[in-house]
Amino acid sequence: MSTDLINAIADMDDVKAVELAEEMLQKGSNPLEILSGCQQAMEIVGKRYENKEYFLPELILGGEILKKISQVVKPKLETERSEDKKLGKIVFGTVAGDIHDIGKDIVVFMLEVNGFEVHDLGVDVPSEKFVEKIKEVNPDIVGLSGFLTFAFDSMKDTVDAIKAAGYRDKVKIMIGGGTVTEDVKDYAGADAFGEDAMAAVALAKKWVGVEQNVK
Amino acid sequence: MLTIKENLMETINGGNPDRFVKQFEFMDIIYETPLDRFCEPGKEVTNNWGITFRWPEGQIGQFPVHDDEHKVLKDITEWRKYVKAPVITTADEDWAAAVKHANSVDRSEKFATAFYAPGIFEMTHHLMGMEDALTAFYEEPEAMHELIDYITEYELAFANEIVNRLHPDAVFHHDDWGSQRSSFMSPAMFEEFILPAYKKVYGFYKDNGVELIVHHADCYAANLVPYMIEMGVDIWQGVMTTNNTPELIKKYGKQISFMGDLDSGVIDFPDWTQEIIDREVERACRNCGKLYFIPCLTQGGDYSSFPGVYEAVSESIGRMSKKMF
Repeated sequence: MSTDLINAIADMDDVKAVELAEEMLQKGSNPLEILSGCQQAMEIVGKRYENKEYFLPELILGGEILKKISQVVKPKLETERSEDKKLGKIVFGTVAGDIHDIGKDIVVFMLEVNGFEVHDLGVDVPSEKFVEKIKEVNPDIVGLSGFLTFAFDSMKDTVDAIKAAGYRDKVKIMIGGGTVTEDVKDYAGADAFGEDAMAAVALAKKWVGVEQNVK
Repeated sequence: MLTIKENLMETINGGNPDRFVKQFEFMDIIYETPLDRFCEPGKEVTNNWGITFRWPEGQIGQFPVHDDEHKVLKDITEWRKYVKAPVITTADEDWAAAVKHANSVDRSEKFATAFYAPGIFEMTHHLMGMEDALTAFYEEPEAMHELIDYITEYELAFANEIVNRLHPDAVFHHDDWGSQRSSFMSPAMFEEFILPAYKKVYGFYKDNGVELIVHHADCYAANLVPYMIEMGVDIWQGVMTTNNTPELIKKYGKQISFMGDLDSGVIDFPDWTQEIIDREVERACRNCGKLYFIPCLTQGGDYSSFPGVYEAVSESIGRMSKKMF
């Protein structure tokens, strides 16, 4: 049953979750329904994280379970449908002058396991590299990460470069990192800021028109 | 007027301090201890555990490198194959600078303070990367217990040298346990893995004449304070405003003191201003009060990232003392 699968993932029972997914496939369940159950489970995990019932290990492990189930389910999906499953494209990176990667890596990971195609440019990324990648992959969203206070200027420079290249009205821009606030968002000229990985996922889903199911 | 040391003790024991403690003024920190190789700005270094650190130009610290080539611990279940603790030097010449410093401290005025970093949790993620470490706590708990025991044994052996050679009055120990908004792990997981290790280490120091344990963690860790008390921390340095410091003081002040509430990110940046410093210092001092609280930048040392900030904060605290005492 899908509810059992959702509970197994949400309760971090990785072995049971994968077994249930395999069992459901054998009994003829639609692979897309299984993946949809996984998404619901991750939303529960995200909610528990926000409520401080769960912490980073659970967030990461939940993503790992989702990856394992995806590996089981994907061969059963038609290739093109599997590709269609991506919710949207995101170009992501830590801005120039800042090399913090832990927070950025976790956000990228969570966006990927939640169904986004993420192009991770790494750390200390110059604004022109963001522009190049936007030109190449035509993303829906750009994510700028920065932990240091002097990353704020780099965020602004990057947004300005995207604007100058003529892509500003084609992408939504989110920023995040240790000391980022609403004021920094306004200063940089971004569309929104996220406090953590789950906030980034919620924001990205909202921007591509996918509603979160769990309250 | 109380001495610096007396004023500190009055503050943390709920007595009658006659002014605010100015940041790290009560600790004379002995940084010369032969701990390990640390990276210099613009350089890369591989330390004695095999962990590679880089400090790119323009950044404010060193970072462990965790690509496939540099990650030391590639499989937690085989940690014994990958992790080899370095030999702790017992050569007198390697300790000479630290011993000289320890002997020069006026101990009636300040605490001769041994410095130790990185901490036990930090070591786990320096060895294998944060994502691998946090997953391993869940998926391979036995191996993580073994690895933590191994790191703890190393630290205890090092602590033995510190105690015998420096006879410190205080220990200033780093280990960051969270982000700015949350602890990295749940309190239950912390209690299982991290608390026992620190009970051993801090217990050893206390059993060997150390009066004060000052633990640095510039993060959210309000949910871990009961464990800090249990492991023997006297002062939590680095407490960020996200912890609601006044609330913590009210709840735990008689058992532990809080040093911080001046978030370095807000104060210590290239275009810092005296106005911001004064505003933040006044907020912190008025909200947190005179007891069980030491106003201090949250950064883990008696310095700032940008020139002049640390000193300007200390001066501002002095002015607040005149207003409030």
